[in-house]
Amino acid sequence: MKRPRIALSIRAQLLLVLTVFLALPWLGVEYVRELERVLRDAQERTLAGTAQAVATALHDRPRLFATPPDPIAFFAREHIDDRLLSGASLPPSASPEIAQIIEGLSRTSARIWVIDRDGTVLARAGTLKAAEAPAPAETLLQRAARATIGRLYQLVLEQPTNEFRDDAATLGAPRGRDVEGALAGILSTNRRTTSDGRAVIVSAAHPIWVGDRVRGVVVAEETGNRVLAERNRAFERLFNIVLAVLLVGSLALTAYASWLSSRIRRLRDDAERAIDEHGRVRAQFASSGAVDEIGDLSRSFGSVLARLADYAGYQEKMASRLSHELRTPIAVVRSSLDNLKESQLSDDARVYMARAQEGLTRLTQMLTRMTEAARLEQSLSDAERIGFDLVPVVSGCIEGFRLVYPDARIAYAAPTAAIVVDGAPDLIAQLMDKLVANAVEFAAGGAIEIRLDSAGSQAQLSVANDGPPLPDGTALRLFDSLVSVRPAGGSGTPHLGLGLYIVRVITQFHHGSVRAQNKADGTGVVVTVALPLANS
Amino acid sequence: MRRIAIVEDEPAIRANYAEALRRYGYEVTTYSNRAEALAAFGTRLPDLALVDIGLGDDVDGGFALTRELRALSATVPIIFLSARDSDLDIVSGLRLGADDYLTKDASLPHLAARISALFRRSELASAPPATEDIVERGPLSLDLKRLTAQWRGQRVDLTLTEFWMVHALARHPGHVKDRDALMRDASIVVDEGTITSHVKRIRRKFLALDPGFDRIATVYGMGYRWGE
Repeated sequence: MKRPRIALSIRAQLLLVLTVFLALPWLGVEYVRELERVLRDAQERTLAGTAQAVATALHDRPRLFATPPDPIAFFAREHIDDRLLSGASLPPSASPEIAQIIEGLSRTSARIWVIDRDGTVLARAGTLKAAEAPAPAETLLQRAARATIGRLYQLVLEQPTNEFRDDAATLGAPRGRDVEGALAGILSTNRRTTSDGRAVIVSAAHPIWVGDRVRGVVVAEETGNRVLAERNRAFERLFNIVLAVLLVGSLALTAYASWLSSRIRRLRDDAERAIDEHGRVRAQFASSGAVDEIGDLSRSFGSVLARLADYAGYQEKMASRLSHELRTPIAVVRSSLDNLKESQLSDDARVYMARAQEGLTRLTQMLTRMTEAARLEQSLSDAERIGFDLVPVVSGCIEGFRLVYPDARIAYAAPTAAIVVDGAPDLIAQLMDKLVANAVEFAAGGAIEIRLDSAGSQAQLSVANDGPPLPDGTALRLFDSLVSVRPAGGSGTPHLGLGLYIVRVITQFHHGSVRAQNKADGTGVVVTVALPLANS
Repeated sequence: MRRIAIVEDEPAIRANYAEALRRYGYEVTTYSNRAEALAAFGTRLPDLALVDIGLGDDVDGGFALTRELRALSATVPIIFLSARDSDLDIVSGLRLGADDYLTKDASLPHLAARISALFRRSELASAPPATEDIVERGPLSLDLKRLTAQWRGQRVDLTLTEFWMVHALARHPGHVKDRDALMRDASIVVDEGTITSHVKRIRRKFLALDPGFDRIATVYGMGYRWGE
């Protein structure tokens, strides 16, 4: 029976199913993106709040804006281009009074400007570049993780940096959509990328009202670094967890799948081992005690095999049982006929008597054959094994066959060297008897060739006969009890299909194997018995 | 008139055997079970008993009956008659003291021949041996009247079948006796396996007396031969 080999193991299938979980990182990315948006909004609101708070402190204080324009600031504004060339430095506060007020309101990472309608910087506090916090002490594991997986994150994620060009330093004062909005009287926020593209600066501008006029603008600025760092941290943590889950999950699933498939493989091997190539149940099948479906499958395999073995046993015992049951009625018939023979019979009755006797003889022959098979099985259990030379046994048998079957053309050349096997010579003679009787019958006057030789660690005995080839698919069943492949309608001696069964039983007793096959040219059949040599 | 007891549960066989043996001139009583037979044996022993092993539901009833009959008399000839013919049954039957064992395949004339032989044997057991009935083959001596065998002067305890087989082999030493000849001479119809186990048992009995015994040779594919 040819079965397709496993192309996709359960392990591979489960790993394939596991790819579904690759959606997890994508979900993580979505989540982190959302988080970033929320953080940005919060940052803008905070900056707007800061700007508003500062503006509130400066509302309706015209005196603060009465200061004449600072000549230095004016000069500075006039020479922006020079400063661009000579290196950046921020314009100083023109109004110390305002500077004092906003100094108290400023935060570490935010920068606050107060400018008047002309764009003149009245005051400035804070810085965009926060001092870097000292790195926390790391364990070895964390350091290793940072060196490997952290490196990967650095490649993928945009990293916050303090190394960016502060455009305000070159432009002198913030000017952007937010400032314009605030000058128009509306609280505005803005987000811009620095000219070198290395950082994002978020700003909020709030108008300063004096009466119903906008006299100045408060601008609160901050880099996006905090949000970026926050986002990166969230991303990394999330990914670390997802990776760990994926890793542990796939390891666990692989282990589980391996365990499952090893159990199934074991079940398959057991099931294959339990039945030999003749389809007979070889040994007791050890059913699993597991409480799941595989255990259940194993148990039902076990019970199927047990039933099969029971059936095979029943079939093999059938001959013995039948012969036993038939004996008594046959004895009744025989003793009745024997008695009848003693009485005075008419000539007619004598004819019937003779026919009845003939039928009885045939019945007895069948019975004897059936008994022979049954007795053989019994006698094997206490048969003695000895080491003996096959050659004289086989040669002797063939001498006998030439006497018994004078018409048969039996070709045989005895090997010159001894072929020693372990077993019972009587049984081998019985085996030869069955094989040759079979061959003689099928050859029907054709040639029979018997070969005996040793190859490797085995003795090979083959009996080839001319005659009809075996019907397809019967080669293995031939050796079963009560299986005969003779064409129906044959008369003469009855056939029970026990001869080759006896051959098989004797071969098994000698730990050998037997097979039947058609000759290559289809002109006959070869039965080959292989027996292990004694000293191997 | 000699009295034969038949213990057999199958009525048709019982009746057929009884009629046939009456025709041979024996007085026959029949019993269908062990209790009935034992009760009758208690009052009067038969001259020969023909016992079936399975007696109805009493699967080994024949074995038990034989044991009980042997306890009553050590000399009454007992023949087992059974549908079974496994080696185990034969060995157990003979060990219990049966003189012969026949399967129901045996024909009535065969049975009658055995019965008369057994009677002869028990009758002549005490009479002095007559030289003309002795076959001598080296250390083997067969008394054809008494149907007893001796090996180097010691008696070999053979059943009737075994004695006839030894006789068939030893009569023409060196000649191969095939299965059919042995069956004919021993008045049995059996398969080759049974012949083989009979020969094995015979060898064992001789070996028990003489560990060097090797006179019965197997000629594979043909039969057996008595070596000189």
